[in-house]
Amino acid sequence: MLYALMGLGLSLVTGILNIPNFAHGALFAVGAYLLATVAVAIGNFWIALLVAPLGVALLGLAIEYAGIRRLYAAGHDYQLLFTFGLALILSESIILIWGPIGSSYLPPEILRGGADLGFTMYPKYRLFVMVAAGLLVFATWLFLEKTRYGAIMRAGIENKEMVSLLGIDIKLLFTVAFALGAYLAGIAGALTAPIRGLNPGMGPDMLGIAFVVVALGGLGNLLGAIAAGLIIGVAQALVAAYWTEASTVVIYAVMAVILLVRPQGLFGIR
Amino acid sequence: MSKLSRRDILKMGVGAEAGLGFPAIVRSQSKEIVILGLWDATGAFADVGPINDRGMRMALEERGMQVLGRPIKYITRDGATQAGTSTRRTEEAVDGEGAKFVIGPWSSGVALAVSEVAKRKKVLHLFSGGTEDISGSRCHRYSFQWAASPYTAAKTVVDSFMKANPRAKRWHLLVADYAFGWSVEKYIKEVGKTHGIEFVGADRHPLGEREFSNYVQKAAANKPDAVAMINFGGDAVAGAREIFNFGLTPKVPLIMCWSSGVEELVQLSPEIRQNIWVGSNFYYTADTPVAKEFVKNYTAKFGNPPGYAPSAAYSMTRLLLAGFDKAKSAEVQDVIKALEGIEVNDIVGRMRMDAATHQNIRPYFFMRCKSKDAMKHATDFADIIATGDAPLPKEYGACKDIGSF
Repeated sequence: MLYALMGLGLSLVTGILNIPNFAHGALFAVGAYLLATVAVAIGNFWIALLVAPLGVALLGLAIEYAGIRRLYAAGHDYQLLFTFGLALILSESIILIWGPIGSSYLPPEILRGGADLGFTMYPKYRLFVMVAAGLLVFATWLFLEKTRYGAIMRAGIENKEMVSLLGIDIKLLFTVAFALGAYLAGIAGALTAPIRGLNPGMGPDMLGIAFVVVALGGLGNLLGAIAAGLIIGVAQALVAAYWTEASTVVIYAVMAVILLVRPQGLFGIR
Repeated sequence: MSKLSRRDILKMGVGAEAGLGFPAIVRSQSKEIVILGLWDATGAFADVGPINDRGMRMALEERGMQVLGRPIKYITRDGATQAGTSTRRTEEAVDGEGAKFVIGPWSSGVALAVSEVAKRKKVLHLFSGGTEDISGSRCHRYSFQWAASPYTAAKTVVDSFMKANPRAKRWHLLVADYAFGWSVEKYIKEVGKTHGIEFVGADRHPLGEREFSNYVQKAAANKPDAVAMINFGGDAVAGAREIFNFGLTPKVPLIMCWSSGVEELVQLSPEIRQNIWVGSNFYYTADTPVAKEFVKNYTAKFGNPPGYAPSAAYSMTRLLLAGFDKAKSAEVQDVIKALEGIEVNDIVGRMRMDAATHQNIRPYFFMRCKSKDAMKHATDFADIIATGDAPLPKEYGACKDIGSF
């Protein structure tokens, strides 16, 4: 579900801007660090879980407004280079602010330890993350499919010029889409912090998987990103159960096989 | 023919002064001893390289960057935790900079490739890591292993843990899938047999693994009495964290068989460290005069005690310098001969470099992590509960003939 959440955010930005956002992984890492910082400062995980992704969304909003927006006229190459540079700046900023050495952040007391599911033990916190990420994915889907602004956003992915000609503020649409993508990366990072801890390299680790999810689902296809995230997660879990050594490589193997059969991805049309 | 100006004459005068007046400096510059620190600044061990460098630099600075009355030129290269990059940059440093002495890198698999370069280029290579091949099946005259033999480590860990937990007979292993992991796993199983340990599972994971839930799920299903991890750095931290998240620790003890000590433990919260047992090539409370002095200076300089990485780099550099002193020469083959059989008291205590295999015979440390309440300060992670220095028995030795130059 976390893969789906990351893929959904990246797909949204990729669809709207028509470029891969290399800073998506760094925004994920910022979400994780913000969660731990806020939670330690106020002593409340739940409030931190609300605040940290909003902070990342604000950061995304600022990045789009102050940076990417000014490069729309310059073409995709410049936007791509900008997000690549931004990823490096954010990663180095994490090291400058929080240090190069990783650390652990524990789940809240109530979610610590394993739950006996009858057939296996599973961490309570991971079960919570599954439910929370599932709800977030569902809520995002509802927003995109069932609200007027969601429809405008989808239309923007399909045909920006047409949306603009209909009198809709396309610049605002881009800003909101980027902030929403950043929010999804931020909350994925925040939810991940107690599982994977905090590490300046955690962004690039997740970025690779997010790109696989987007490519597999079809560039800019939001439903495809959700489906691809689930497929990758399930494939990884199944392979790991029988052949643990292959649990990482299976992510890329699944992508390679599906793209050989459907180069446009599972749900892609371009 | 142009006339010489006053300025030209002055320039010639300065040139003559430099050539005739400072011959000693000119000569000594040409006689500087170039030592390469091959430390990773990128790749899987990017976080370790900079602290390796700290340790090596401290050892050189202790000697005023000189040995045998000659200046030492310390150069570093980023091996990127990759065999291709490391070997290429080593060759460049040897050919381009005149490096004749190489220390590093940090990854066993990469070091094996660098060891081949050392053999081909006839330069001295010192390394610390978990592979037994450098002092075993692929031994040669130019490479030396500073870390304890994987057998020494396994014997210390298994014997000491079983002494404290005699009923923990069912072990599940999580092993890093490269040279170091395979070597230590082999001896953990061998020594385990002598204690009647049943290995109920052994899963291998790639270097740089961060998603351990699937491995831990399998481990939990096996209901082991203990989980033993043979991995290192970020892998060990991620594994220990996941084992805690599954609720295995602190109920089930976790053994980190070959840990970097401080660098890994600082990344785990005290709750996660409960019931963790740690084997390491160095721990900063080691009760030796050299360790005490080094830890004091390192802590004063960097604000935290050193772990295995800077300590190994520090001690390897001291060992190399001791080789120069003993050889009274900076010729590679003379220093190699001097290091063969050398005995020194260093940070880990008594060390002897076995002449037949180039394996350092030295103590290995075994610690038990402290509970949060027992910690006296933020880095008071563990107590050393045992040390062991059992050398590799001859029947296991794969270095039958180390060969000639």
